[in-house]
Amino acid sequence: MNRRRIIQGGVAAMLGMPLLSRVSWAASSPIRVGMLIPESGPAGLFGPSSRNCTELGVQDINARGGVLGRPIEVLYADGGLPPAQAAQAALRLWRGRKVEVLIGMHDSAVREAVAAMLDGKLPYIYTPTTEGGGCAPATYVIGETPQQQLLPVMPWLAQNRNVKKWYLIGNDYVWPRDSNVVAKEAIAASGGEVVGEEYLPFTVDNFDASLGRIRDSGAEGVFITLVGGASVGFNRAFASFGLPAKALRLCTLLEENTLLGIGAQNTEGLYSSTGYFATLPSGAARQFADRYRSTFDNAKAPLNGLAESCYEGLLLLEAMAAKAGSLEPKATEAVAEGLAYEGPRGRIELLGRYAAKNIYLAESKGTEFEIVQTFENVPPGQSCTN
Amino acid sequence: MVELLNLVYHCLVLALVVLGLAVVFGMLGVMNMAHGEFLMLGAFSAVTAQSAGLSPLWGVAIAIAVCGVVGWVVERLMIRHLYHRPFDTLLATWGLSILMREVIELFYGRGYQNVDMPFTGSVALLGVAYPSYRVLLMAVLVVLFAALALWYVRSPSGARIRAMVGNPTLAQAVGISTTRLATGAFVFGVCTAGVAGALLAPLVRVEPAMGLDYLLNSFFVLVVGGLGSLAGLAAGTGMIGGTQVVISNLFDQTSGYLAVLAVSLLFLWLKPNGLIARR
Repeated sequence: MNRRRIIQGGVAAMLGMPLLSRVSWAASSPIRVGMLIPESGPAGLFGPSSRNCTELGVQDINARGGVLGRPIEVLYADGGLPPAQAAQAALRLWRGRKVEVLIGMHDSAVREAVAAMLDGKLPYIYTPTTEGGGCAPATYVIGETPQQQLLPVMPWLAQNRNVKKWYLIGNDYVWPRDSNVVAKEAIAASGGEVVGEEYLPFTVDNFDASLGRIRDSGAEGVFITLVGGASVGFNRAFASFGLPAKALRLCTLLEENTLLGIGAQNTEGLYSSTGYFATLPSGAARQFADRYRSTFDNAKAPLNGLAESCYEGLLLLEAMAAKAGSLEPKATEAVAEGLAYEGPRGRIELLGRYAAKNIYLAESKGTEFEIVQTFENVPPGQSCTN
Repeated sequence: MVELLNLVYHCLVLALVVLGLAVVFGMLGVMNMAHGEFLMLGAFSAVTAQSAGLSPLWGVAIAIAVCGVVGWVVERLMIRHLYHRPFDTLLATWGLSILMREVIELFYGRGYQNVDMPFTGSVALLGVAYPSYRVLLMAVLVVLFAALALWYVRSPSGARIRAMVGNPTLAQAVGISTTRLATGAFVFGVCTAGVAGALLAPLVRVEPAMGLDYLLNSFFVLVVGGLGSLAGLAAGTGMIGGTQVVISNLFDQTSGYLAVLAVSLLFLWLKPNGLIARR
């Protein structure tokens, strides 16, 4: 063996070494999952409970052997930032920390910015309640759409609670406005009528003028798409004026935190329609809620549907990777249609990159939700065909 | 009729919320960005009273104690060194407001808290049923403001405060201890914010970040009404509260909010000293 040979061999070995070590490193190292949840801003309230549900998901999946034979590891970024900044945070997770999939629980303005930034190069699972609308490649929207929360529910209320005259009130942005378009469709289909429609800026904390209009309108039902603090303030004032005796209230973004803030004195006749409640009676749901309460301080970060949607996002990731055998965006797109899994919410099935699921209608009893009706396997009412 | 009662209620509550800032900013010149946080402390006092099994109205007493102590410490350690430097007071109290929010978050979490209404149901007033707690609150506020106005105009302490506000150097020269008076005024101001928080807690949303809502409107009232007098406070409250309620009733809430902004801007532009100028 001459000197040149030895040098060649040595160089080849040196070049090969990192390659080899990278392969072995990849086989044992965890799959990194980027988690975009609100840590600041108005939705920052849901940060701690979302983190808790994510931790439970990581535990469960790793106990079952992980994803693609590798354990998963979650890296967090703040989804409560303005859209451009949140997309930057997601970009750092992707390019800097090498996450292989992104799961998001944040508002839809952030979703649009993140989807545009990713441009289909990373699978992206969007989990919370949403007006829908987006159809970016390799983006999967598993949250409740207005079609799911309203089309079966309003006719049911017309029939069983005799609510025909509806007053629509919401904050002034895209989700309430899109929800009300669907609400009008659902009200018309159930033979009812809309007696008022109103949008409030986020800054409003005095609802007297709106309450006066609701009383004068003769409404039998008020469909509320006020969010967070506005919902708390409105519902408290609504009850203090004795309006629950006149009209029932229906919300599509009323979860356990907000209900606690509204308070037991003020929740008579207050309904919520959504895909998850901490009080869901099924075995899987009860087991999940029990584990949450025994692991975390439920008083400080109450279990709620938005937080639980992070757990659902991880379950979809697990099912998707198992069926596709990889986390390449194209591979996930190829297996997405009809992909299904079972979780605390029941069976979830992807259709047109949205999700069919059970919708639960609950009536507030004090500060607990009591399920009064289950609508099974409700189609998403939106789909992506591209 | 309900609209009239709503107007009166809204203005009285607004005056209570602004009172503390009117004293601290209007008389001492401290741009207290933590004003809303003292109100938040008051609301959490009511939460604490309720969770201890007491009536939330005990929150008023707790609020006075808590805000009194916090206000005194803050004045001694921070504010005292910053009188006559308004911009520095703004920065310092802004930092203070963040600290206060974080401390409350640490103990109570970020979520919404519920404070029960001490009196439910409604009473007949001017021929309409109006929530009883609101009626009680209005009655208490009318008495409180009447007493305060009387004290301010008639009592020796009121005279000393007016002397200090009018000309601090001259007041000192005639033997008024302006340092002690300023401490007292600051503590009084933040205590009224705390009382406002405790009294409003059963009616509004309660959470660590709630204070921000009250800060902006309070500054609007003072800009429009003018600094340094109770009459200015009343004028500003009537103007801002009245505009909001009337426009919201006639049109919608968005117009009401826009009108408040427009009025405030017009005053800043055309009448920067407000309706009732001190000098």
